[in-house]
Amino acid sequence: MTFSTRRIFAILQKDYKDLSRNLFVSTTLIMPLLMAVLFGRMGIEGIASHYLIINLGFILVGAYVQSSLIAEEKEKNTLRGLMLSPASTLEIFCGKSLLSFIATAVVVAGSIWLSGYNPRNLAVIAIALVLSAVFYVGLGTLIGLFTKSVMEASVVIVPVMFIFSSGSFLTPFIDKYPVLAVVEYMPNLQLLELANRVEAGAGLGDVLLHLLVILAWVLVIHAVAAYVYKKRMVDE
Amino acid sequence: MENIIEVTSLQKAFGSSRALKDVTFSVKRGEIFGFLGPSGSGKTTTIKILTAQLRPTSGSAYAFGVSTEQLNSEKYRQKVGIITDNTALYGRLNVYDNLKLYCDLYGVPYQRIAEVLQMVNLAGEEKKPVSKLSKGMLQRVILARAFLHEPELLFLDEPTSALDPVNTKHIHEGLLLLKEKGTTIFLTTHDMNEAEALCDRVAFLNDGEIRLLDSPKKLRQQRGEPTLTVELADGSMVIVPKGPEGADQMFRYMSSNQLVSVQSNHPTLGDIFVEVTGRKLA
Repeated sequence: MTFSTRRIFAILQKDYKDLSRNLFVSTTLIMPLLMAVLFGRMGIEGIASHYLIINLGFILVGAYVQSSLIAEEKEKNTLRGLMLSPASTLEIFCGKSLLSFIATAVVVAGSIWLSGYNPRNLAVIAIALVLSAVFYVGLGTLIGLFTKSVMEASVVIVPVMFIFSSGSFLTPFIDKYPVLAVVEYMPNLQLLELANRVEAGAGLGDVLLHLLVILAWVLVIHAVAAYVYKKRMVDE
Repeated sequence: MENIIEVTSLQKAFGSSRALKDVTFSVKRGEIFGFLGPSGSGKTTTIKILTAQLRPTSGSAYAFGVSTEQLNSEKYRQKVGIITDNTALYGRLNVYDNLKLYCDLYGVPYQRIAEVLQMVNLAGEEKKPVSKLSKGMLQRVILARAFLHEPELLFLDEPTSALDPVNTKHIHEGLLLLKEKGTTIFLTTHDMNEAEALCDRVAFLNDGEIRLLDSPKKLRQQRGEPTLTVELADGSMVIVPKGPEGADQMFRYMSSNQLVSVQSNHPTLGDIFVEVTGRKLA
């Protein structure tokens, strides 16, 4: 499999020009920042509140913008052009994910700054946030591959937002239904747990398991996305 | 001459509907091969199988000596250019940015953009947003994109269906130029004039089966009448036999300065298609 930075940056550049002229999607980038300003002014406290905004950034920018970019390529029949070009699956995946990843990083960093969140161990939190961003971009790719249009992606993102929002609505039921304990392994809850432990003074070694769980999600979501992408290369 | 495409007993079914029944043909390197048939005859299905976008139900299809199912590798995609009914451009980008992306994907220098735009009669339109282009201009940019990397094998599905005669002529000249440079072209069309002007050989496809395959010239000659239609100075049309018996008659017309034009009585490819399939091309 080839890996050409020229191809990857060409797709990134194309996506940047395309997105900058797409008001519908690009205005989404502002939403988490507005929330962060609002929360910052309200003087929010507590890790859970900060991660509510951070997760909003992940879902709206990482997952939603990415799913829109992919879904629009499908809707307009341009994805097939990329698939039929000499660019490898890895190059197309990297090229198509880079813009959403950069936008997510900028928006999440901006949200953290605007909401006044100062992690006790920035390096560990940065690693966790980068891994989470990669996961949500992968999730967006998968949604984009499954949906047929930007409008459909906009609908599908709503339950995703519900499921992956900070402090999952299912956690209060774990005591009553032990099977729901699996929810605790979701990447958003792992990130929240990691952040709480870092705030309590934990170092990299103490939160390694949380990072590995998020990493596992990253690998699984991208493997599934790659499989679906390969399936989409051939018509039924 | 080496075969660049070899198709044997190809079949494709979509549920109970059989799009391709038993298709066998080969395409020689460097030729323009025309796949002619009405809508729904199986032309696009064949192109999709040959470009690994669709799996056949049975039979085999080879390009460059490998099964077309393996053509999804980067190595082969570099050699192939494809225009099908679902080929599209990025509407928010201009013509230049659309072609620049594909220059990067295929490793082609940006200077090539001006050359291909010249080929499709769009020189000077680089900065025009694709969303503002007419259907014909859009089709020409798509063709320009396929010409960018001078592919060894070019698949064109109805390439000039949206174009006026002037631009069709430009595209035909561009295709013949590519052929001169060694590109093999697999062309589907229902325009018989296009097939006659471009194709070295044509296959008539109807209901998923090839009914006839040969050069346009041979097909017409085989079915032609051994007569000529002669137009005379007084406006009358006379049928003259082609053999020695017609020579005296022709000599008389010429020596008395009565001869205006002479036409061989060959059927058109369209006539032959109707004769063979009982259907009109549309």
